[in-house]
Amino acid sequence: MKAIQEFTKGIIKENPVFVMALGLCPTLAVSTSVQNAIGMGAAATFVLLCSNIFISLIKNLIPSKVRIPCFILVIASFVTIIDMVMEAYVPPLHKSLGIFIPLIVVNCIILGRAEAFASKNGVFKSMLDGLGMGLGFMLAIMVIALIREILGVGTILNIRILPASYKPMIAAILPPGAFITIGLLMGLLSILQNKKKSKA
Amino acid sequence: MSLVNVSSSPHLHEQVNVRRVMWTVVIALLPALIAAYLFFGWRSIWITILGVVAAVGTEALVQFLTKRPITISDGSAVVTGMLLAFNLPPLTPWWIPVVGSIFAITIGKQIFGGLGYNPVNPALLGRAFLMASWPIQMTTGWATKLANAGVATVSGLKQTLITGGNAQLQNLITSATPLNLAQQIRGDIVAGTAGDSARTIFHQLSSLDYIKELFWGNIGGCIGEVSAAALILGAAILVYKHYVEWRIPIGYIGTVAFLSWMIGGIDGLFSGPVLFHIFSGGLILGAFFMATDMVTSPVTKKGRLIFGIGCGLLTVVIRTWGGYPEGVSYSILIMNIATPLIDKLTPQKTFGYRKKSNK
Amino acid sequence: MKDFIRPTLVLLIICLIAGTILAFIYQQTAPLIAENKLKAEEAARRLVLPDAEFFKPVSDSSDVLYYEGYNADSTLVGYVFSCVQYGYSSDVKTIVGLTPELMINAITVVSQAETPGLGANCTRDDFTTQFAGKNPYNIYVDKDGGVIQSLTGATITTRAVTNAIRDTFQKLRDKL
Repeated sequence: MKAIQEFTKGIIKENPVFVMALGLCPTLAVSTSVQNAIGMGAAATFVLLCSNIFISLIKNLIPSKVRIPCFILVIASFVTIIDMVMEAYVPPLHKSLGIFIPLIVVNCIILGRAEAFASKNGVFKSMLDGLGMGLGFMLAIMVIALIREILGVGTILNIRILPASYKPMIAAILPPGAFITIGLLMGLLSILQNKKKSKA
Repeated sequence: MSLVNVSSSPHLHEQVNVRRVMWTVVIALLPALIAAYLFFGWRSIWITILGVVAAVGTEALVQFLTKRPITISDGSAVVTGMLLAFNLPPLTPWWIPVVGSIFAITIGKQIFGGLGYNPVNPALLGRAFLMASWPIQMTTGWATKLANAGVATVSGLKQTLITGGNAQLQNLITSATPLNLAQQIRGDIVAGTAGDSARTIFHQLSSLDYIKELFWGNIGGCIGEVSAAALILGAAILVYKHYVEWRIPIGYIGTVAFLSWMIGGIDGLFSGPVLFHIFSGGLILGAFFMATDMVTSPVTKKGRLIFGIGCGLLTVVIRTWGGYPEGVSYSILIMNIATPLIDKLTPQKTFGYRKKSNK
Repeated sequence: MKDFIRPTLVLLIICLIAGTILAFIYQQTAPLIAENKLKAEEAARRLVLPDAEFFKPVSDSSDVLYYEGYNADSTLVGYVFSCVQYGYSSDVKTIVGLTPELMINAITVVSQAETPGLGANCTRDDFTTQFAGKNPYNIYVDKDGGVIQSLTGATITTRAVTNAIRDTFQKLRDKL
């Protein structure tokens, strides 16, 4: 596989949310507004990138029996470092993202990529994979958040786009809205991929 | 058209098919619609028509787009639209039944493959969706025939009760919905923050005069649920035709009656206003027309009884302690989801089948 | 025996390294974080009591109960207290500024994680400004027969804010 494909595969073809159904918990919980989605996506991408690089560096040192605890240790350390550094030096950003940062530890995309990719591949490839998967996660969570915020609040990034007479569909920003949106998008994506397959 | 049409259950040996059942349900719902017209005026018929047209239109459109046979003439979409509209306040905005029907048919029914595959009652799913999305439009807009006599708001009436004023039963009849008021008054009495007049009002809920109003439907409420008399008339048609079997409605209403008698009162156990709980809210509509939906209720006899009792239990729990005054639609939805499980746990004995011995 | 020792050692070493790095970074950032927090609290107090030049904490044996706000001439211009109650999905923390006559001057919701678009609207100005000038001793939400207009579809959050203010004030009143 070419290096560039390691990067692009995560965005659509092996999208962590829509295709592999990984990391659904943060996706469902944080996609209530586009602003939150961008913050969560960016933070998760950063952690994914760091953990993938680091784990591919030390992969030969880790005995396979304790690899999962090791991965989790690495990921949790990165997350905690980011949490503390942000709180100290950029408190406004930390305030708006604060509650999502601890959530990254339990984002199984990161552990999933560490186990499935970074522990078997070189540093450069792992970096590209982490970046691609992170962007794929960010894209997915942003698309869901976009739909939910438009329907549920009538705004994008807190800027009103639907007329004030629009009565927001509050269900869209409640948990059921997240499940329905993600289900419909997964269905749509698999329809498109099936069409592509039957054409080919 | 394929050579063999496989319709959804019930596969009966009689001259019964989905089309006939559904249109009979429509006819059975008409008395309630007429009652709604008498109490609330043309607006209720207008809302119902909007709901039905949107449901049928959506069904046809979705089936056309997915290249499936168009089955709008079987009447199931008409029933969904009607039941959804029956669960709305009469003065709700016109787009509420339209959006609700579109959601009910697409997300509640067609996305699972159409009639016979929907896990829950589409009309109730539509209502739950509307309730979550537009709580204000769904819980205001009540009207009664006596509306011009001055509609008391619940909070206004409650204020009178807290300050020890003298609220009249007449106000009770014209206020938002009886269940809403009963739940709030009872909450205050139990918490000890209400005066003696609140107790008097609560006791009047079970007075014969008030039950009469509830029975005929001269109260605030959703379009199709106010008149218990009209609904029972319609339900009688279904029972007579054997389209509705007694286990679900009787299990349901019986459980509500017993439990509301046991825990729904203000003078300790076994003092609750039983008839009030039976005839108010959507219980009669739900028990006869929505819980008995053939697709989403159990097929075994024992299962149906369990289903009805479960609905009743949840309804009383929501009415007594819940955040909403009425729990009929949510209890039926929850039991709908439990239906496959109930069917699995209550298999009918096959003739000649013997339990395997452990040896 | 060997395949038991090596994993343990590796895990131990990684834990040690991670722990050391974390401890080092914590040492570097902890004073900054504490300072930021104090600054944020100070800013919130100024927001609800803009007339005050400096604040003096008043505490009983252990905890800070409330702050007294003084202007440049050291005359008392009001009090500030914070209160918290669980709303729909999170603890809603509110800072309340009182005038010397013990009426609400202004409030601000400093931390919450309620439903966006519904309960989260409690941080908006059009919600918080309605508390100004009210008597905190007996404020209630309109659904409970009071004057505080509840947020659309978020009565529970509104109640959390309102009841927290009332309950905390009732406890504090004799000490003010």
